[in-house]
Amino acid sequence: MSFLPEVALGDEFQPFATFCGDLGFFPNLLRAQSLLPRLIKAQTTFEKVVRLNRGGISRVQKERILLCVAVDRGDVYCASLARTALLLHGEPDHRIEGLARDHAGIGLPADEVALLDYCRKLASHALSVNSADIERLRQYGIGGESIIEAAVTTALGIYRCTLSVGLRPEPECERWNLPPGPKISGLEVEHEARSPKGPYVSAPYLSPQTFAPFATLMTSHGFIPNFFRAQTLRPDLLAAQAELAAAILLPEDTLTRSQKETILLAVSAANLNSYCVAVHCNLLRGLGLPAEEGDQIAIDHHRSSLSVADKALLDFAIKLGSRFSEFSLDDVDRLRSAGFTDPQILECEVVTALNNFSNVLQAGLGIEPDFDPPLAYERKKTHLTTVSDRPTQQASAASSAVADVEDPDAELTAHARAGNLEAFEELIRRHSRLVYRALTAILGNQDNAQDAMQDVMLSAYEHIAGFQSRSKFSTWLVSIARNKAIEYLRKRKNEVSLDESPFGEDQDFRPRELRDWVDNPEQAYSRQEIQQLIEKGIMALPPKYRTVVMLRDIEHMSMEDIARHLGLSVPTVKIRLLRGRLMLREWLAPHFAPGVRKANQ
Amino acid sequence: MITCDEFFADFGDYIDNRVSPEVRRELELHLSQCRACYVLYDSTCQTVKIVTDSGSFELPENVSESIIGQVMAKLRAGQS
Repeated sequence: MSFLPEVALGDEFQPFATFCGDLGFFPNLLRAQSLLPRLIKAQTTFEKVVRLNRGGISRVQKERILLCVAVDRGDVYCASLARTALLLHGEPDHRIEGLARDHAGIGLPADEVALLDYCRKLASHALSVNSADIERLRQYGIGGESIIEAAVTTALGIYRCTLSVGLRPEPECERWNLPPGPKISGLEVEHEARSPKGPYVSAPYLSPQTFAPFATLMTSHGFIPNFFRAQTLRPDLLAAQAELAAAILLPEDTLTRSQKETILLAVSAANLNSYCVAVHCNLLRGLGLPAEEGDQIAIDHHRSSLSVADKALLDFAIKLGSRFSEFSLDDVDRLRSAGFTDPQILECEVVTALNNFSNVLQAGLGIEPDFDPPLAYERKKTHLTTVSDRPTQQASAASSAVADVEDPDAELTAHARAGNLEAFEELIRRHSRLVYRALTAILGNQDNAQDAMQDVMLSAYEHIAGFQSRSKFSTWLVSIARNKAIEYLRKRKNEVSLDESPFGEDQDFRPRELRDWVDNPEQAYSRQEIQQLIEKGIMALPPKYRTVVMLRDIEHMSMEDIARHLGLSVPTVKIRLLRGRLMLREWLAPHFAPGVRKANQ
Repeated sequence: MITCDEFFADFGDYIDNRVSPEVRRELELHLSQCRACYVLYDSTCQTVKIVTDSGSFELPENVSESIIGQVMAKLRAGQS
């Protein structure tokens, strides 16, 4: 009996046949998920591809990887499962014992020893893996396809072990006593060895038009994360992961998509995985969560505005994902007391397992970030370097401090908050042009923007005492400008939407004007004429495109800052920016294509 | 070679220099052989450059000073 109740699944349940044909029995790790059979199906399909598809690594080598990962985590259940598979494939018991103690001491070929070195390091010290580890694999002739296969197999081992801690299934066979040796208690980091510069393997181009998983990701995420792009050398493994993630994350019959994304964010943050923190912050923003709230969940969810129950959910997930040696049945009971049902608890565990899978695989392949992680999180991260520092039941001293971001206005802001009017005057002088451009972009009218500036500045002064430095002063000021502008338009019954359309931005805008432009078009007009042309063209854009184009191409803000200012995800900003630029290009084309006379002639 | 639609799917990231070397190679191969996409690429880059260099939407200094002056006068009046 595991931590969660089980229900009968019926003999026809397809995963039975898959596992029984392979191992001779249906693992209790899967049976323990019977409250949500779709999760069993998802894991079974995924395991089948990872363990049985033949690439550069043999089936026995993969089972050895799974065994070593489980042994290093002290996971008796998962180690016994891998041992059973190895025995079935003819690996003698004494060799399995030797493998668990020291894989270099049982006469394996040097390339496999190197491969297991890499996998064990990845499983126990994921963030310390670096390009030197990959270089060593290459010296033994291990290519990109096999490196991906080894990393995915290791990450599968982590997925299994995370579930094994959360579900505590009984071993199917005789309990195997693991050899003595140090065991890890959480996903750890070795500071001195942090020089990851990826991606470590090449990634041939795959088209979203012909490779279905990419098309699906565009629909579900609004973009194709580098996490998947980096694995195109092994489309089979990539497709299986995309399918697993979709099966776990997209249904909303148990936990909501937002709850699952907050789990992924909080556990990735606890595992110090900046890549995944940045991705999930953006996905949450796409689901309507303000940027500052995402940052706060990454830094310390106890100080976020999540409900008490959802904070308990994250406590549970962080402990399971990051401090697994402390996890017990008490944690399950605590979550039940917080009002969660057993299927919800199960789904939380599976989402956490998926998270740890992704964290490990990202580190193992050195996958480069799609977006910048929140500055406040990156600063806080340096204080969260040991497993015991990571927030769980009680907010630690380190996590109770408000996380300030680097802000060139910090000193002036502090004075202004204390009531110093000169400091406030200097602040608004520094940012008056930014406020003006933001207002102009949203209002679509320069005179109205000038009128609204006073309101924005007075409102900023009125609220500055409550400004907590979780974002830059300029970000905060633009948020006020945005709200004032929208209020102004609403008063005039001029509805405008700058909101996110959940993963559904129009992406089908195609340019019509395809005539060549003249060389050096700027020389055909005076600077003043160019300015007038651009201002007219930008004002003619619909507000949601105009705002992004102005902030990026006129105000030179980063994509991340624009996304924060406007409360959007970075993928949405990118789509709007491209579309806005293309519309502007259409508008300018008649002025810059050959044979076209000056507009004002 | 990739199609024009495939080129267009990565076009935004390409002009912002945010694609992997492998994707860049495919896009540039397409650009070298497709006149229509090249024109689109070239004129979009020109658009971005013209907009970026234009210094548009400057707030005239006298307007800015006048607004700040009015704001500060109101705040000082409120303090006294």
